[in-house]
Amino acid sequence: MNYFVKGNPDLCIGCRTCMIGCVVVHEGKHIFEIDPDSYTFHPKLHMVKTARLSVPVQCKHCENPACMAACGVNAIYQEDHRVLIHTETCIGCKACMDACPFGAIDMVTVAGVRQKDGSEKKVANKCDLCQGVAGGPACVRVCPTQALTLVTEEELEDLAKRKRMESARSTFCEVYHCDEFSYGGRE
Amino acid sequence: MGIPEIEDAKCLLCFGYNGADSHPIVARRIVRGRQKGMKIICADPRVTETARISDIHLQLKGGSNLALVNAMANVIWKEGLADEKFIQEHTKGFDEFLKVIENYTPEYAAEISQVPAETIRQAARMYATNKPAMILYGMGVCQFSQAVDVVKGLANLALMTGNFGGPSMGIGPVRGQNNVQGACDMGALPNSYPGYQSVTDPASREKFEKAWGVPLPDKVGCPITHVPYRILQEKEERKRIHAYYIFGEDPAQSDPDLAEVREALDKCDFVIMQDIYMNKTGLHADVILPATAWGENEGVYTCADRGFQRVRKVVEPEGDLKPDWQIIAEISTAMGYPMNYKNTEEIWNELIDLCPSFTGATYEKIEKYGSVQWPCRDKSMEDKGTPYLHKDGIFATKDHKALFYGTDWHPPLEMENEEYPMSLSTVREVGHYSVRTMTGNCRTLRNLEDEPGWVQISPQDCQKLKIQKGELVKVLSKRGYCISRCLPTERVKPGAVYMTYQWWIGSCNELTIAHLDPISNTPEYKYCACRVEKIQDQEWAERHVKEMYNDIRTQMGIQPGKGARS
Amino acid sequence: MMKKELGSFVIGDGRRCTGCKACELACFMVHNQKSNHVGMTVGTVGVPVVPRLYLTRFEQGCMPIQCKHCEDAPCLNVCSKGAISRIEHQVVVDEQLCIGCKDCMQACPFGAITLLPYAKDGCLVPQSGSSETKVFAAKCDLCKDIPQGPACVNACPHQALRLVDPEAEREEKNIKAANALFYMKNW
Repeated sequence: MNYFVKGNPDLCIGCRTCMIGCVVVHEGKHIFEIDPDSYTFHPKLHMVKTARLSVPVQCKHCENPACMAACGVNAIYQEDHRVLIHTETCIGCKACMDACPFGAIDMVTVAGVRQKDGSEKKVANKCDLCQGVAGGPACVRVCPTQALTLVTEEELEDLAKRKRMESARSTFCEVYHCDEFSYGGRE
Repeated sequence: MGIPEIEDAKCLLCFGYNGADSHPIVARRIVRGRQKGMKIICADPRVTETARISDIHLQLKGGSNLALVNAMANVIWKEGLADEKFIQEHTKGFDEFLKVIENYTPEYAAEISQVPAETIRQAARMYATNKPAMILYGMGVCQFSQAVDVVKGLANLALMTGNFGGPSMGIGPVRGQNNVQGACDMGALPNSYPGYQSVTDPASREKFEKAWGVPLPDKVGCPITHVPYRILQEKEERKRIHAYYIFGEDPAQSDPDLAEVREALDKCDFVIMQDIYMNKTGLHADVILPATAWGENEGVYTCADRGFQRVRKVVEPEGDLKPDWQIIAEISTAMGYPMNYKNTEEIWNELIDLCPSFTGATYEKIEKYGSVQWPCRDKSMEDKGTPYLHKDGIFATKDHKALFYGTDWHPPLEMENEEYPMSLSTVREVGHYSVRTMTGNCRTLRNLEDEPGWVQISPQDCQKLKIQKGELVKVLSKRGYCISRCLPTERVKPGAVYMTYQWWIGSCNELTIAHLDPISNTPEYKYCACRVEKIQDQEWAERHVKEMYNDIRTQMGIQPGKGARS
Repeated sequence: MMKKELGSFVIGDGRRCTGCKACELACFMVHNQKSNHVGMTVGTVGVPVVPRLYLTRFEQGCMPIQCKHCEDAPCLNVCSKGAISRIEHQVVVDEQLCIGCKDCMQACPFGAITLLPYAKDGCLVPQSGSSETKVFAAKCDLCKDIPQGPACVNACPHQALRLVDPEAEREEKNIKAANALFYMKNW
């Protein structure tokens, strides 16, 4: 199963440290030394703020990715528990952007590269779960309120198992009017 | 109270304080408290991050603070939720206070604050019945002309419910600027020597005169917000200001009514600016003294909870610059009063010996415990400072009793009118701190947000004005105008707009009013009348903003497309 | 919406399309109205009926296919004549400059470009130096000269075509994803 990072709106304070963490880890620390105009600032997750919600949204690394199905040039593939974009192959056709129901993909400029007529080259950009980065996704690590978690197959299954246990216990207690079981409490 | 205690309160009343945008690290405590089951009441005209996770959001109309606070007191008393034993044993003036709050029924306050009477009742009950309850207040209280009254009003709530003298209770001012608490502790106030020892108290004065070997004035000095007046309008020649030494402050960006501030700086005979980067004030200075930043120098900061913390040098400063203490010592020496300190510890030791409430906070102790909250009177390692004040209900008055202060609400000075039909409040945004002298030079933060900033406005008002997200708009008041980008958001109510004050182009302090609280002398940043106008020619506006930005950067000697130091 | 950065495009919906070709006809008509006096009736048509989008039948059904106005457009990048460029975020062919080399046709992964005969005032225009008809690379131009927007979208009786504003839609989908996160907090 693919892994994914999940934001919790109850903990998020909308500070966007995750977005900076994302850029720094993908661009490399040299961005603090080079001309500020010579690197691109394209976080792979988006901070969403509505009337009553603040939470970052990013790729869910679907098991049957709609983006991958929609891609006309086979630039999207799955590997190592994640959905990835081969940006060299990508032609920026936006089909994946249209296919993704979460708005997790956007098209971003590539620093220093232009199209033939001099206009900006843009390709698809989305969360890659910090592939190849020691310590895992940067957003998870930098969040000051631990509002982001990396969800793995094991955890997702554990969670379902726990919920089934709780559900069984509470149903049992209700039927037999016993309150010996502690409900365990919600996390 | 200490910052770490926040998360263990049973109830938090967050009043005019937006932690997520001004102090994310404090906001983290609030979130953690929430996880531990803390009840949250948030009083704020906007849906802030704290309002979002609160149990009760008192979305009051700007400028109605005291009416709401008094009404909460009214409910607590009327419904028998007050801690009468505490009131009797530890306080004075309650009967006079009752006479004032008598009129502030929730229904009356609802008219003023636009918060439903029932919601006010629920909030009052929640605050009074969940002990320990803590109050945090921020600039949404302090930056009104009725500021000190509201602080006292909040203290009244804590007093009448016995929420003083224990952990996770009391009232906490979460300061507006970096190390403001420290600046006040060190006597950078017009009315006190270090350690809050009054300049009008002969005994204190004598002590400092003796220690420093100079005669000291017995009159209160000039608050920063009076400076423009004292330069431009002061009739008495003797009182007129001729020289202005500014450090770590950017009044040409952060003070209200900037046109007046610029005039004052230009008319002042001599202006010295001391800062780590070029800023708006620097453009009007005669002399600029480059200073070191945190990480390049050492010393002591005070946190909002009175905690002294050491800051340490991690890199050697590059170029021709000196730490603040050295600059001050050299100027003083040149002016005929030699200062020969060898290091910051020597200065600190002199200071703590002159301030009884700081005496115990030695470098050694701060080093060992990480933070020492004053009062800390004894140098022995056993005195670890005071996490919370007024232990056992013993207050810092002569008879150890706390005093109730009841005051009536009055509206802000400049209300909406036909020409300026909306209200403007200055706010913070996370990522850019204060005037962004520091954060504006951090490239990734600049990537996140840059000129000319945003004006937060309700979708309804946007519809009326026919403006869209991202469009450049003109915001005007009686005092000036600026250009900023429209940010429609359901988090604000119609009729009110909000701007952050750090932008050079979207500079909302061109608009704000220099109307001061009579006691604190803090300006009414949080309320003035304004108007938002659509700009028809967006292409021109975009170009204009870009040109203005480049102009300012060129004036400051910043190469286009580069950071200040690259 | 923020300042527009990406090109819009029209996309077909294979579940709604019945293959009636109303889109093709509408496309042909609006592109020949002015230059070739094509009106509402068949009698006004003096040039070959060739549209710029293609009703495409495949195993599971049918749907129209047209240009995606890619952000790193292969057609633009291969054009040796500089006849394809990006104007206000859209990929545009300069019919006058095109020499019909077919490179763009081969580069486009969607088959969205074909060579169409060049006609003026209701007559086919011959090549200079030959009696053969002059051709040009034709593709969807989003009906840029028509205030009502793409004719295909308006003509479809089954709402099987949609004009996509990718950035606005992405933001909307982000908000939906954020709302979903609210409902699946960490129980």
